Amino acid sequence: MSTPALELTGLKKSFGKAEIIRGINLSIGKAERHAIIGPNGAGKSTLFNLITARFAPTAGTVKLHGEDLAGLEPYQINRKGLSRSFQITNIFPAMSVFENVRCALLWSQGYKYSFWHLVNRKHDLTDEAEKILDQINLLGRRNLPAGTLSYAEQRALEIGITIAGGADVIMLDEPTAGMSNTETDYITDLILKVTAGKTLIMVEHDMSVVFGLADRISVLVYGEIIATGKPEEVRANARVQEAYLGAALEAEH
Amino acid sequence: MTVSDPRIDPRIDPKGAREDEQITTDPSKPVERMRSGSMTLSLAPWVIAAVVLAFLPLVFTNNSALTIMNQMSITIVFALAYNMLLGQGGMLSFGHAVYAGVGGFAAMHIMNMSDFFSTIPLVVLPVFAGLFGMGLALIVGSFSTRSAGTVFAMISLGVGELIAASSVIIVAFFGGEEGISGDRTYAQPFFGVEFLQQIEVYYLTAAWVVIAAALMYLWSRTPVGRMANAVRDNPERAEFLGYSARWVRYYSFVASGFFAGVSGGLFAINYEILTEENLNTASSGVILLVTFLGGVGFFFGPIIGAIAFTLLQTVLSLSTELWAFYAGVLFVATVMFFPGGLAGLIMMHVPVFKLGKAGTLIKPYLYTLLPAALGLAGLAALVEMTFHYRHAIPGDNEMTVFWMTFDTHTLLPWLIAIAVTAIGLGIAKVTASDLRDAWSAANTAGGKS
Repeated sequence: MSTPALELTGLKKSFGKAEIIRGINLSIGKAERHAIIGPNGAGKSTLFNLITARFAPTAGTVKLHGEDLAGLEPYQINRKGLSRSFQITNIFPAMSVFENVRCALLWSQGYKYSFWHLVNRKHDLTDEAEKILDQINLLGRRNLPAGTLSYAEQRALEIGITIAGGADVIMLDEPTAGMSNTETDYITDLILKVTAGKTLIMVEHDMSVVFGLADRISVLVYGEIIATGKPEEVRANARVQEAYLGAALEAEH
Repeated sequence: MTVSDPRIDPRIDPKGAREDEQITTDPSKPVERMRSGSMTLSLAPWVIAAVVLAFLPLVFTNNSALTIMNQMSITIVFALAYNMLLGQGGMLSFGHAVYAGVGGFAAMHIMNMSDFFSTIPLVVLPVFAGLFGMGLALIVGSFSTRSAGTVFAMISLGVGELIAASSVIIVAFFGGEEGISGDRTYAQPFFGVEFLQQIEVYYLTAAWVVIAAALMYLWSRTPVGRMANAVRDNPERAEFLGYSARWVRYYSFVASGFFAGVSGGLFAINYEILTEENLNTASSGVILLVTFLGGVGFFFGPIIGAIAFTLLQTVLSLSTELWAFYAGVLFVATVMFFPGGLAGLIMMHVPVFKLGKAGTLIKPYLYTLLPAALGLAGLAALVEMTFHYRHAIPGDNEMTVFWMTFDTHTLLPWLIAIAVTAIGLGIAKVTASDLRDAWSAANTAGGKS
């Protein structure tokens, strides 16, 4: 078996005396779509923040394509091919939609801290940004300030920004939170389209999205993964039913 | 005060056209529009500015006008450099005068190194000054740009105070209390020009304004300049796009230090003396005021701010001792009512012009602004009279306000001033609601214009 895209070993995080993440071992293969579900306060977002170095782990390792990420800054991890979105929409609200996407392209297109290129003259940047805008159906909103978009459009833009850099591991934190059913369907299709061939790790509350998207599911309860497997296996798992899923599924219907 | 809605932040106003790209919601041809002919259009303001600068001395011929224009030019360069931090990078500095000052002092020392100075033309002196400003920014920025916000502001204040205080300690460089002076005419003549006359200095300064402004504008169009905006808006997101927020800030800071130094070099050429005043917190405060007054959200904002403030400082100070008080009131009013500054006020009217409804605003503006101006003049008269009443030499009861001479120790002038204030502001308050209606009508598409 090849190196997993992302591998977590014995990952722990405590805030003071409170243990939020209590030893997580998880291996996610290349091009796998993996969903992390669990009740509120289970530590899903904390887990995301540990992987992307927003927080430093108390113990354990995170490996991206077999490479230990310990001690790296978020921007260094991003350059290694891991990109994420946030639970709360995290875009550049004062900048135009186009500009948002273009900024997301700059590093991966090799411009780095250049002050000798003029971005408007770089047609490759413009073309690529517009291609992404087309993918996320925001080409018509190109020149509007991102902050004036509707909520669903902002979430779509955030997904666009997240994938723009060409990262092969994409992490989405509750991409459909707070959306209506139609919006949720729209975003789900969008995620399927733009993450094709990439490794996707997502936290999600909406079970229909999870079962529609994920190849495998991990259930996180009180900082531990109580089950990992294919959707149908997880659904049938007695512990999961007891701890979480039964209630969640009932709430759905 | 009704022309602006303070809740509208020009930076997120969809009609504010903050970027150089025009607003269009037509999805069909974004690419073509983007590429066609934008070069000639974007060059136009620069050509116009250069032509205006070239012909200004023909209109304002006397020396004091030249002095004012030189001061404007220097302030423009400094304010634009400052806005690279404040407006574009989101860094509030309380000590940016030290970069201009150190650049200026370095320029003075170069002037005094006669062997070296006689081998370089005066026009390149600002480059040296810029490099010294940049050198200081390289050092200070290495620790001050770790974070933006309060930490950055406090460090900038501390470093500013530190360097200003060392002007009396490191006398060899800062010259103590009398400062450092020199003579610009010892430079190698530049095509025969020795810069003996004010007009020659004017053209040198004017050329540098255009060059420096153009370079700063181009900077804002580069990847690192674009990311400065991104880091300003959302440093965390920028980090997850592969950019270190700290390094992006550092690059902006160093570039800003360079251009601040250039402005210091121009100051050295123009005044031939630098003192502690060029370094201190008051100067740093003034440039913050100038930049904010002009508007931090637009590239050209600081230019307007520098022009307006220099006029206040020079012209108004001729007629009243209290000019700084009025400047302060204007600043507070700007912060409270027009956070977009003068540039924001101007750009607010772009959608109105695009809708072709600017004409409908003329009358309401006149009806409100004229009485308001009258009322404010009355208010200013009251302030002046109070000041005169309290501070004039005993027995000197006569004063002149708005070309009228009267005795401040009689009741009538006070009654008149109070009446003018009350009537002017009262009418403005009444007509303001009409203006508000006209404004919203002018901003709505459709209907008769």
